[in-house]
Amino acid sequence: MLPAGSISESVISINDLKVHFEKKKLLAQPSVVRAVDKVDLEIARGEIVGLVGESGSGKTTLGRAAIGLQKATSGKVFFAKGERTIDVTASKGREWRKLRRDLQIIFQDPFSSIDPNMRVYDALRIPLQSQGVKNKEEVENKILSVFQEVGLPPDILSNFVFQLSGGQRQRVSIARVLLFSPSFVVADEAVSMLDVSLKGDILNILKKIASNYGVAFLFITHEMAVAKVIADRIAVMYLGKIVELAPSVEIVSKPLHPYTQALLQASPTIDPSQKDQIRTVNIRGEIPAAYAHPPGCKFHPRCPFVMDKCRENFPPLKEIERGHYVSCWLY
Amino acid sequence: MMIVSVKHLRVYFSSPRGQVKALDDVSLDINKGEIVGLAGESGCGKSTLALAISRLIYPPGRVMGGSVEFDGNDILKLGKEEFRKAYRWKKISMVFQGSMNGFTPVFTIGDQIREVLEIHGYGGDPKARTEELLRMVELDPVVGDRFPHELSGGQKQRAFIAMALAVEPPFLIADEPTTALDVVTQVSIMNLLKKLRREHQISILLITHDLALLSEIVDRVYILYAGKIAESGTAKEIFQEPKHPYTKGLIASIPMLKSSRIEGIPGFMPDLANLPPGCKFSTRCPYVMEVCKKDEPRLYNVKEGQDVACWLY
Repeated sequence: MLPAGSISESVISINDLKVHFEKKKLLAQPSVVRAVDKVDLEIARGEIVGLVGESGSGKTTLGRAAIGLQKATSGKVFFAKGERTIDVTASKGREWRKLRRDLQIIFQDPFSSIDPNMRVYDALRIPLQSQGVKNKEEVENKILSVFQEVGLPPDILSNFVFQLSGGQRQRVSIARVLLFSPSFVVADEAVSMLDVSLKGDILNILKKIASNYGVAFLFITHEMAVAKVIADRIAVMYLGKIVELAPSVEIVSKPLHPYTQALLQASPTIDPSQKDQIRTVNIRGEIPAAYAHPPGCKFHPRCPFVMDKCRENFPPLKEIERGHYVSCWLY
Repeated sequence: MMIVSVKHLRVYFSSPRGQVKALDDVSLDINKGEIVGLAGESGCGKSTLALAISRLIYPPGRVMGGSVEFDGNDILKLGKEEFRKAYRWKKISMVFQGSMNGFTPVFTIGDQIREVLEIHGYGGDPKARTEELLRMVELDPVVGDRFPHELSGGQKQRAFIAMALAVEPPFLIADEPTTALDVVTQVSIMNLLKKLRREHQISILLITHDLALLSEIVDRVYILYAGKIAESGTAKEIFQEPKHPYTKGLIASIPMLKSSRIEGIPGFMPDLANLPPGCKFSTRCPYVMEVCKKDEPRLYNVKEGQDVACWLY
């Protein structure tokens, strides 16, 4: 198990979590997609953990499983609520419904995650009421306060969702998540669809929520630079495994895993002198299909430093320096 | 030598809310062998410009004025059929964000490339040409025998670029060509565009909202805001000494590995059907003055290779 900033304060503990999808085949062995494969991760109160990886690395599945929206094949997710510890993976019925308040998710696409034909006020009122907040005044006060929190003017509450811009819609999604003062929020590519000029504001709002209210975040993104800006720690995921985990500043200045190094090399910088140069990224090919994971280290077919050992055995996640974990035979 | 010259182009869309001025007096030049960037937020008119250059504006959109010259000929004056035969794919090709999904799922990649060759009257051996094209975009020629669903997003996008280059157009419009792709694939597509320019002297108009991506590939940049050019200049000037407050804001909003701070531009882009008087950026500008709210600034040459539309200069 991996320690968070401080164990006593972890809000979410993911233990040896596996999420496998089986594709049944007529007459043949079913093919198994190991979307999340033996992942351990702890997130502390008020901490933002950035989860970075390419499409198909299992980031979203891990995020969904962390809040119980995706059934785990094996392993556990524990949520610490005050003195109690709730097993998210085993919760159901009333308890599961109540958990929806504490564990929230912000989706990538604000154009498909909110009903465009609803008034903004209703998009916020309905979830509150369905969770039992019936008092009209209480509903209104709550909505106004979350609206202020995300920097939206109250006069758009009576507008229809389709009248809002992408940036405004994403703020409404964040406001909706804040309605129940959650303890843990999964932000799944929450700024990827937004314009550069709006990304910054949204990232700053999320940061403020984490520090002011102690909300823990799992911030899923494919952009290393975005993770660096918002997260306290960064976990790099490749084919269902966390291959490196370290404080953001450290992972960017001293990346250990060859995959992390490649992701950093691929991150754009502002440098007009590069215009005639071909950029080299130390990685070969593309991410393999999800049902055909290579044996040994899953990164070995693309790794520039591949050794015999890598083709046979999977390297365990090892703590190289305090708080800096890497899963690579080079270390 | 200019290959494409857009002059005072105005494209309006009629809507129940009034006329949407998607492009309002936009001028832009692309020289032979040059990669020019066009950047701005969603809804600023970037894609409308790409569509106007390729004669793909349909009602409720209308070209209200201005011209698009290709090698000196105004292509907006040509008949539809004439444009299709002489220009589309032959002289002007396009690659879009969703291009990779533009392949028909029931034919192989090779079949679809060969169809383009056939329609545009390619004289040589279509099979050899298809292989050559796939190699040009660094794909294994066996990809020609594959169906689109057998390829990854990056491979499909490369295959589409190969198809766009089938009949050797001298000019390519790439509208957000890497937005849906992973960072590693993004780098390889950018490398490919650089290579095409260097080895085949193709001129490229690269449209994206990702300024960091642009900064590493373009010779010159145009910054578009609410249907108007806010600033234009060489990559060096724009990225190292931006003048327009909007350009400065855009650059400050790019998340960078080196810093943990990020800023956004407050507010939202105005409704194009209901634009504010004066400077279009005045509603969000941190340096707004009285004059900005009344009169619209003209694009003004501040120094060699840099034009700005702002009352500060």
